[in-house]
This record gives sequence, structure tokens and C-alpha cells, in this order.
Amino acid sequence: MALIEFQQVSRVYVSGEHELKALDGVDLSIDKGKFVVILGPSGAGKSTLLNLLGGLDSPTSGKIVVGGKDISTLSGDELAEYRAKTVGFVFQFYNLIPTLTVHENVTLVKEISPQALSATKMIEEVGLSDHLNNFPSQLSGGEQQRVSIARALAKNPEVLLCDEPTGALDSETGVMVLKLLLKMARTYDKTIIIVTHNQNIARMADVVVRVKNGRILSVVDQPEPANADDIDW
Amino acid sequence: MLFKKLLRTMGQYKAQFISMIIMIALGIGVFVGFNMEWVSIEQNTSKFFSDTRFADYRIVSEAGFTESDLDAISAADGVKAASRYVSVNASVNGDKDRTLALTVTENPEVSFFIVTKGDAYDETDTQGLWLSDQYASKNKVKKGDDLTLTFNGFDFTFTVRGFIKSGEYMICTRDETQLMPDLAKYAFAYVSPAAYLAKTGMAYYPQINVISSMSKSKFTETANAALGNTYMILSRDETVSYAESQGEAKEGKTMGSIVPVLFLAIAVLTMVTTMHRLTAKEKTQIGTLKALGFKNRRILLHYTSYALFIALVGTILGTGLGYGIAWIIMNPDGMMGTYFDMPEWKLYKPLFCVFIMLGIIAALTLIGFLSTRRMLAGTAADALRPYVPRKVKPLLIEKTKLFHKLSFGTRWNLRDIFRHKARTGMSLLGIVGCMVIIVAVMAMNDTVNAFLKTYYEDAMNYSSRIYVAQTATDEERSALIAKYDGDWSASIPVELKAKAVSLDVYSVTKDKYRFIGTDDRRKTLSSDGAYVCKRLAKEFGIGAGSTITVYPYGTNTPYTLKVSGILRSVTENIVITDAYAKSLGIDFKPDSIYTSTQKADVASDTAIKSVQAKSEIVETFDSFMEIMIIMIVVFIVAAVVLGIVVLYNLGVMSYTERYREMATLKVLGFKDKKIGGLMISQNLWVTVVGMIAGFPLGLLVLDVLIDALASEYEMGMAVGPLTFVVSIALTLGVSLLVSLMVARKNKKINMVEALKGAE
Repeated sequence: MALIEFQQVSRVYVSGEHELKALDGVDLSIDKGKFVVILGPSGAGKSTLLNLLGGLDSPTSGKIVVGGKDISTLSGDELAEYRAKTVGFVFQFYNLIPTLTVHENVTLVKEISPQALSATKMIEEVGLSDHLNNFPSQLSGGEQQRVSIARALAKNPEVLLCDEPTGALDSETGVMVLKLLLKMARTYDKTIIIVTHNQNIARMADVVVRVKNGRILSVVDQPEPANADDIDW
Repeated sequence: MLFKKLLRTMGQYKAQFISMIIMIALGIGVFVGFNMEWVSIEQNTSKFFSDTRFADYRIVSEAGFTESDLDAISAADGVKAASRYVSVNASVNGDKDRTLALTVTENPEVSFFIVTKGDAYDETDTQGLWLSDQYASKNKVKKGDDLTLTFNGFDFTFTVRGFIKSGEYMICTRDETQLMPDLAKYAFAYVSPAAYLAKTGMAYYPQINVISSMSKSKFTETANAALGNTYMILSRDETVSYAESQGEAKEGKTMGSIVPVLFLAIAVLTMVTTMHRLTAKEKTQIGTLKALGFKNRRILLHYTSYALFIALVGTILGTGLGYGIAWIIMNPDGMMGTYFDMPEWKLYKPLFCVFIMLGIIAALTLIGFLSTRRMLAGTAADALRPYVPRKVKPLLIEKTKLFHKLSFGTRWNLRDIFRHKARTGMSLLGIVGCMVIIVAVMAMNDTVNAFLKTYYEDAMNYSSRIYVAQTATDEERSALIAKYDGDWSASIPVELKAKAVSLDVYSVTKDKYRFIGTDDRRKTLSSDGAYVCKRLAKEFGIGAGSTITVYPYGTNTPYTLKVSGILRSVTENIVITDAYAKSLGIDFKPDSIYTSTQKADVASDTAIKSVQAKSEIVETFDSFMEIMIIMIVVFIVAAVVLGIVVLYNLGVMSYTERYREMATLKVLGFKDKKIGGLMISQNLWVTVVGMIAGFPLGLLVLDVLIDALASEYEMGMAVGPLTFVVSIALTLGVSLLVSLMVARKNKKINMVEALKGAE
């Protein structure tokens, strides 16, 4: 059975008299342990899809089932718990807490997730052991993104959701971050979903989902994904 | 077009704008209000004093003055006018609860009255009486009514001709032990010298009132030379009406300078932080305008006009509030109305208030200008870049082990507190301000209550005080003391370092009168020295062990007294025991008897001038306490408004600043309650620190206030348990309320929106 199941999911934004259909009857299923890339131009609805899956937003209609549980009808606090235990986020702009150190930013998740992994270990895995006591503003963008990956994984979630994780990085750093993401996902056996408009990233994926105008254009399996080093960035 | 933007921006930051305006309005309001109050007191009373030709000096002698004494004084150089004067307390129509100070003055050009209704004064009228208009209306006395006045054991009937107010009785109290006038029970009336002579057959005048612009020492010299003797001479400053109205003005001046400074300081600081945040948040817009080609000057003008607008609206509202405050205090039915009995209650706005207000508007506008200029610095591209807050640096306490044991929330809050020092400082200031005001006014109440309790319950352990008639013989005096089984005292007017004070000889064997030391405990007097009241001790630097020399008026014998201690006293006096007086050879006659006998049970006697029940004095406390409570409520409301406004403003600011961080926590899976809890606990820490600092500061402010009142009352600071409870509960309540109001917003955090843009 699929880990994630979207059934006829729609999300309509209403502002004044305008209705904007960000997602329009989406059906999608994603298996456990896959590396999925959701590809599409800006405004296609890919971030909406990710936000719904991450429990940041609820669908206007339809069902989203994650690990056998329907999350489309959860209350605010239940959603918070879902976010705490099931999903980990990596954002384009890292979203670290500026007043907490690297170590604290990662340890943070212990407060909400009983299954959290060792923060020190995670930081070591992303190669930032020397920066444990630095504040985010003392790190480069790539380093900050690595902290944010460590934080997302420290929660020990089922799914890792990444919204343009390399969008704010130069390509070299971006590749390094992608490789790290992939390595970590494999090591800890996580399902990983990346939303991007970068075609190159799609070549690394197990599954590529193309989205346009709130609908799924195609879902393509790639049995032999390219190695990051073999891709011409 | 930019004006439209101004209006919309105001809508966007309405919490900040409204709170700024309220702060400025409160500050200006309190400032204008209290300064108008004291200036109005000065103006109105000085007009009243000049209309009634209030005397500059009073020469007093119980032996009385003859016509030739008056002529001698009148003829002296530098004396403009003089008048013989007498005032006796008379009970009305046999009612022991109604007393009039029956007053006769020979020359209407000196310390006279003004007629507010009825017939004009007629000095040939031997039947007529001019009565206090307030007493008349409170006791429903009409023109043409007959009043029978009893004094020295005799009855005299007069007919009411007119209704009056008198500068001499502007603050109409029996003596200094009565705190507030009660014109329904104790007021004044004038009759002509002709009527005085016709009814009583007397021309006894123990006082001469004089108008003269000489200095006191010069006048004393002149008067003593003219009269050939030394007499007690009281200047204006030593009369109740003048001194206490001046005291009120001084209190108003103190209030008008201490309290508004607090409010205005907070307003200005709030302006600094708010304008800084506002322009910081608008930085990209400022950059956009600049990039569009707007000149710096235009942009500066635009953002500076925000500050100007806030300052103007705040000042206008504040001026209105100030008039309101001044009116509440200064109107015939208001707080001062129960104190002063005067005809005119005009409100005067001092010119310096206008200048200070203009200064404040200018300062606030300048703050707006400077904040904007900072954001405009550099090229358009620089201005377009969003404002970058200061980088986080590790705190000193992070070096300690303890810090690493703290939960992440605690660390987050601690760092946030130190990262936003201005915001934290302002919150602290708001809490401290709130606490200071509540503590000061509540403890003021405690202090006054303790003061009243000490003097009127503890020290005055009698029911009635019998004033012995001047004419009573020694035998009659002894007989009265024996009959009413009382303690007694004798007052001798003496000069101490050119100041007229009372040397009070006490014989206390029946525990009817007690003395209170500076430690607020009872003190037993020893018979080998004198006790000086705190005010005199402070004024002349007298302490236990010093010696003082006093000159009783009417004699030329100085007495040197050894000072044994300092007392808290209602009057400005020196206290000695009768044994010590005798050992020094001081001549005295008992003139007051303190007894447990009720006033109604004191039989009429020609040896008794009048009787005063302690209850009459205590009843006047009600109006005193009423005023006190109004003041307390006004100040507590102001303190609470101040607290809410400052904290809400900062709370919203903090919320906006941490919006992204809170959104991140929410995305990670933190529940709203937990995030709210973090914010509330941060506020609580600041509140607790503020309260700890505010409590002693409040007492310090109270100390300054007590000092300002020291010329009128010798009070010792007292702080009751209620003050602790109320100040803590209210301040904590304000802080919690505001925290909850802000924390409620957490639910509305839009995670998706918040995480889109770059930091």
C-alpha cells in the first residue's frame, strides 16, 4: 500500500470575489522510501501540494491519507502533532531560529517528538560538528541548509518535505545539499519529496511528478535515476 | 497620493498609532492638568486675597489692643492700613454641633469679606450679621432670619443681612488639628464693631491686622517700636488660608512635575522604539519610493508626518484631558471645592505649558525624522534591501553550565530579551511605571491612614477638648480640670529664631493625651527637657541635645531649653511638661482641658470659651478621604491604562518580530498553546523583574511626595499589606491580560505565508 494517498484533492483560495484553484482534483500516490520530485512552473500548485501534505494547510475537498491516516480533517492541534511526528520540512530559506545555536535549533525538536534522534549525531552527519555553538547568522547559506536538514531528520519523521531546498544556494552548494539529502534519506530510510522547478534535480528522482495549473500532468517512474555527480548543473 | 498612503499605513499600524496617541495624551493630560491646577489655585486665591484686602501681618495679644495702639500702628511709616480684629467661636441657636467664628474688624480696608448675596455691609448696623454663604445654604438660613450666638456663656441674637465669603476664612478650620473644612458645622460670620459694642458692651480686640509691604523683620521692628512691647506677629505665610493654599499649589507643582515626567518619558521612548520599528518594517517601501525617483526630502517629509500627526493628535487630546483633570480638581463642587471657599474658579493655563507642549511635538517629530533618515541612508539599492536586525551574539550567561540545563524555550526567551534590549527595556519601564504609580498612591493612602490613626485615635485619647475662657481665674481653671478629670495644656506664643511658634506646656497624668515619636511609637515625656516637632527640628537643624532659646511674646525674658527629643506633631510646636516649665520659671495658665466627658455633657460655664468634640474633627476626614480615594482611583486607572498601552504596543511589536520564528515552530509541530506559553512566560519574567524594581521606586516617589507635604503634615511612611497585594495583582493582571491578548493571535499565524520570503 502506498504511504501517501491523495484522493480528488482540491484547494481553492478565495480572495474577495476571486477564486483561485491552486489544486484541482488531484489523485496521487507515493510509495514508502521513494525519492520523489514534484516539478512544475511557478504557480502550478506544487507548493500547495507540499503544504497540504505537510499539514500546513487543509484541502477544500478530497482526502489525504498518510500512513493509513486521513489528515484532511484533523484539528489544529492534531495537525501540529502530525507535523511533529510524521513530516520534516526543509525550506528554501532554511527557517532556522536566529536566536538559537546550531545545536539548539536541532535539539529543539526533542520538545515535540518523543522519537527524536540525537541532535549531536545528526549535526555530525551533516558535517557541522565544528559549528555546534554557532548561531545561524554565523553560517553560510549551505551550512544553514544543512542544519535545517539535520533538524528535519532529527524528528525522525516518515517523510521529508523539501520546498526548493537549493533555490537560495549557488549550484555547487546546491549539489552538495542534494547529495546530502539523498544520502540521509537512504541512511535513515525516509521517503523524500522535493518540490522544484529545476529540471536537473528531477533526473535524480525515483519518481517525477509534473504539475501544471493545479493538475497532475504526469507521473513517471525512473528505475535508474542519475547520480548527482553525473548531472551537468 | 502619499497622503492616501499615510492614512492606509495608519490603518495597518493602528495598535501602534493608537497606543502612541494614548501615551502622549496621558502624559500631556497629566502635565497640563496638574500645572493648570496649581497655577489656577495661585491665580484664583491671590485674586480673592487681593479682593478681600488680605492682611500682610497680624499682631496678636491676648491682653487686647486699645484704640491708641491702633493709632500708633496706623501712623507708623510703611503701614498702609490697619484694623483691630477679633474672632470668637460661638455656638449657634444652642446647637453644640454648629459653630460660627464670629468676627469683627474695624476697618473694611483690611482683611474683609465680599458679599455674594443680600445687603451690603453697613458699619452702623447694630443688629445685622453677615453670614458665610456656604453655611447659610447648607443650614438653610435665609436673609432676615435671627441667629442666637453663644460665647463665654452669654447669648446674643443677630439678624442675617447678607451672605459672604472671606479671604481670612478661605480655608475654614478651627485649628490645625482639623484637616478639612466642614462649612455646615463650622463657618464664620461678621458683625459691625457697632453691633459688637452694642450687644456685648465690649471693645476687646486681641489682634491688629495690617497691610504693609515691609519685610517681617522690618515690620516687627516698626510694630514693637510703635507699641512699646514685643508681640507675636504673624505674617501671611503663618495663616491657615494663605499657607495651606500655597501648600496646595506647591503640591500641585510637585505632582505636575513628577508624574507627567514619567508618562512623557515613556511616551517619548515608546515613540523612539515604535518609529524605529515602523520605518524598519517600511524599509523596502522607503527603498521603493526612492527607486521610483522620489527625493529624499519628500520621503522624509512623508514619514516624519506620521510622527507629527501622532504628536499633534496626542497633544490635542491631552490638552482636553488636562482641562478635564484641572476641572475635576478645581471647581466649586470638586475636590478643591470642599477645601477652599472662594468665589472664582477660573482655570488658567500657564504659558510654559504651551512651550513645553510645542517642545514635545518638536521632539516627537524629530524622532520620526531621525528614524526615517537612518533607513534612507545610502543608495536606492541600499534602501531597498530589507532592514537587517542586529546579529545574535552569545550572552555572558551562556558561559555558565546552568544555561545549558535550561529548556530551549527559556534560552529562546532569554536571548530574545537581550537581543531586543530596547523592547525589553520599554516593557520594563511600562511595568515599573505601572507599579510605581500604584504603589505610590496606595502607600500614600496607607500613610495618611496611619497618620490619622496615630494622631486622632492614639495621640488624642480624649472625647472633648475644653477651651478655657481668657477671663477665667486660676481657681476656675483648677476647678474645671478637677471637674472633668482631664489632662491639660497651656499654649504660650513664643518666638523661635524669628518664627512664631507655640510653646505647649502639658500636664499628662490621666492618659488623655499622648505623644508620638519620630518612630511612630508613643513617647513618654521627661521633665528635664523640651520636645520639638519634626518640622521645626528640620527647619532649624535641631536635634536631641541641642539648646534653643525662645522669647515669649509680651515679655522680654528669654528662656533657654534643652532639647530632649523630636516629636511628630500636627501643629508646629515645642512641647514641655509643666514640671519642666516650672523649673524654668515659665509663666503659664491652663487653656485647654482634655477629657473623656462627651461634648454634650459639658455644662455651660462662663469659664469655658468653647468645647470641641473629637468626633467633629474625625467627621471631616470623610471628605478628606473621599478626595484621597478619587485621586487613588484616577491614578490607578492611569497606571493600568499606561501598563496596557505600553505592553500591548510592545507585545504586538514582539509578535510581529517573532512571527517568522513562531511560524517555524508551528511548522515543526509546536502547538499554539505551547508557543503562546513561551511568549507569556517571557512577559512574566519581565513583569516580575519590573515589579521587584517598581516597588521600592514607588516608595521612593512616595517619599518625595511626603517631603512635599512635610510643611503641612508630619507623616511617617506606612505600607499596608493591601498595597502589596493590589499593586502586585494589578500589575501582574495587566501583564497577563496583555500577554493573553497577544498570544491569542498565535492561532492566526499563517505558516505558508510566513515561510515564503527571505529573512
